[in-house]
Amino acid sequence: MATKERTKEILGELGKSVYEFREDDAVKWAKAALKEGVDPFQAALEGLAQGMIETGEAYNRKEYFVPEMLMAADALYAGLGVLQPAIKASGRKAKVAGSIILGVVEGDVHDIGKNLLKVMFDVAGWTIYDLGKDVPIDKFVEEQLKTNADIVGLSSFMTTSMLAMPVIIEKIHAKNPRARIMVGGTPLNPVAAEKYGADGYAKSAGTAVDEAMRLLEMLQKEELGQAL
Amino acid sequence: MKMMTRKATMTNKERVEALLRREKPDRVPHWPFGPQGFAMIYAGFSIADQYTKPPEVVYEAEKKASQDFDWVFAPQVRTRRGRGEFGGEVKLPTNKYSQAAYVVKYPAETPDEVMELKVPDIKLRYTPEVIDFYKRACQEEDGNKPFKISFGGTSVINTAGGIAGYDKLCKWMIQRPEVAHRLLRLAADYSIATAQYFKDTFGVERVLPKGYTAGASNQLISPKHFEQFALPYLKEVHQKVLAMGFKHLWVHPCGEHNLNLPYWQQIPMGDPGFVTIANEVDLETAAPYFPNDIIMGNLDTTVIQIGTPDEVYEAARKVIEQGKRLPSGFIFSQACGLPPMAPVDNMRAITRALNDFGWY
Repeated sequence: MATKERTKEILGELGKSVYEFREDDAVKWAKAALKEGVDPFQAALEGLAQGMIETGEAYNRKEYFVPEMLMAADALYAGLGVLQPAIKASGRKAKVAGSIILGVVEGDVHDIGKNLLKVMFDVAGWTIYDLGKDVPIDKFVEEQLKTNADIVGLSSFMTTSMLAMPVIIEKIHAKNPRARIMVGGTPLNPVAAEKYGADGYAKSAGTAVDEAMRLLEMLQKEELGQAL
Repeated sequence: MKMMTRKATMTNKERVEALLRREKPDRVPHWPFGPQGFAMIYAGFSIADQYTKPPEVVYEAEKKASQDFDWVFAPQVRTRRGRGEFGGEVKLPTNKYSQAAYVVKYPAETPDEVMELKVPDIKLRYTPEVIDFYKRACQEEDGNKPFKISFGGTSVINTAGGIAGYDKLCKWMIQRPEVAHRLLRLAADYSIATAQYFKDTFGVERVLPKGYTAGASNQLISPKHFEQFALPYLKEVHQKVLAMGFKHLWVHPCGEHNLNLPYWQQIPMGDPGFVTIANEVDLETAAPYFPNDIIMGNLDTTVIQIGTPDEVYEAARKVIEQGKRLPSGFIFSQACGLPPMAPVDNMRAITRALNDFGWY
């Protein structure tokens, strides 16, 4: 069993491996965590995920850009790959923040932004249903009804593909008014989001989780109000 | 359909020619960026038709839209597939939500495949019918047409991103810089060979090489990576293309390039060049970095697509009034490609704004 100091050191090294995108070190320190009896859950959340959160903060400060985010994500998942069997074996489950469907809308294959979103929601403890890119309009509707996900995140990179967004939003809201929908991507802005009937807008992968949390809290308050 | 609140003393061709002589035109000209999709839809075709119909259909559609909306007409020679310069699999737009052809399978997936790639034969990108048509089109004079033709030839980082995908290019910038440099080398050699092919085929007089650099924006890469991976190749390509005798280059630093501006300043654009600024960069912030070039831009394409005509008119007014203050000359344009599905009334609102506020 690692001492408190050693545990702190391992968690710090795990976070640093992600932040400095050193995939081999993420694996090395994840193995060390298991070998020295550090709680794998703690290693994942307070080590690797914390490193990714700090990477996202550096991205928001424009100290990091997409290459650094992608490399950090690789280190994160390399370390998680080592820890996951032990987490699974422990039977413990992470506290789920919420659930989100992510996808790049029909006609669009630009998915780097959506993939970064996925990483950030992953480390924030969300259940993610990733539909990929060039996703047909009705697929979003079907998936929302099937999963009853709290949030649907629509991404678009072009002024043509963003035209699919109001169609998707209207269809989902008609079928399930509970669902909250947020939009993002190059041609989107708060004005477009409002015109399209979206509930939220995220400027970048670095702000999307906060926006989703805001929508989720609103949703929970509304549902609580209705229950009372 | 043209609305003139003052009597024009120049054609759009003459306006651009005046700017090239570093003189003021009678009015700010409107040179839309990537108008083919809109022009095709305006003429009753689909977005995909620009890739599949004979070149004269696209040419005539753009010429007609230029006449109706009072635009500069700079016909761009269409490639066989739109993307996929080095092979792979390209999908054409299938419906109104899809703006352009896109790569569905990259020609190189691994570093080894990148290192083994060779620059393909440029001629394969253009069918003989396309080349024959544009040779004839070069002979046609038009009051909106300052250049005989234009061609996409200097998009180094976009071409590199199209070989293995932007995500891999991004990662290799950190993980395998020699592979990222190889991609850029291939793209630069391809650009230089393309320009040489156009020189040999069409000459250099009034032929305009164009380049787009979405993949080098600060929404994707850092200024440090721009300096390391984009700057040397863009500089080399521009220098070599200008040395071939092309007088002016047209570039679009696509997206947010604020932190890259000091590097852009080091890249020769011609005498003068055309620099189309995106709406993420303020025109007056950008202008000092391009003191010898004509600044183009930068009406937000989102407002064109979703705004009301009044909102578009007002947004266009602001751009025009700011652009008119720029010392090295200004051409009104969009901040990025003209939305193919832009409402016609919004495009008319732009024409109206130029005729109300664009006069010098």
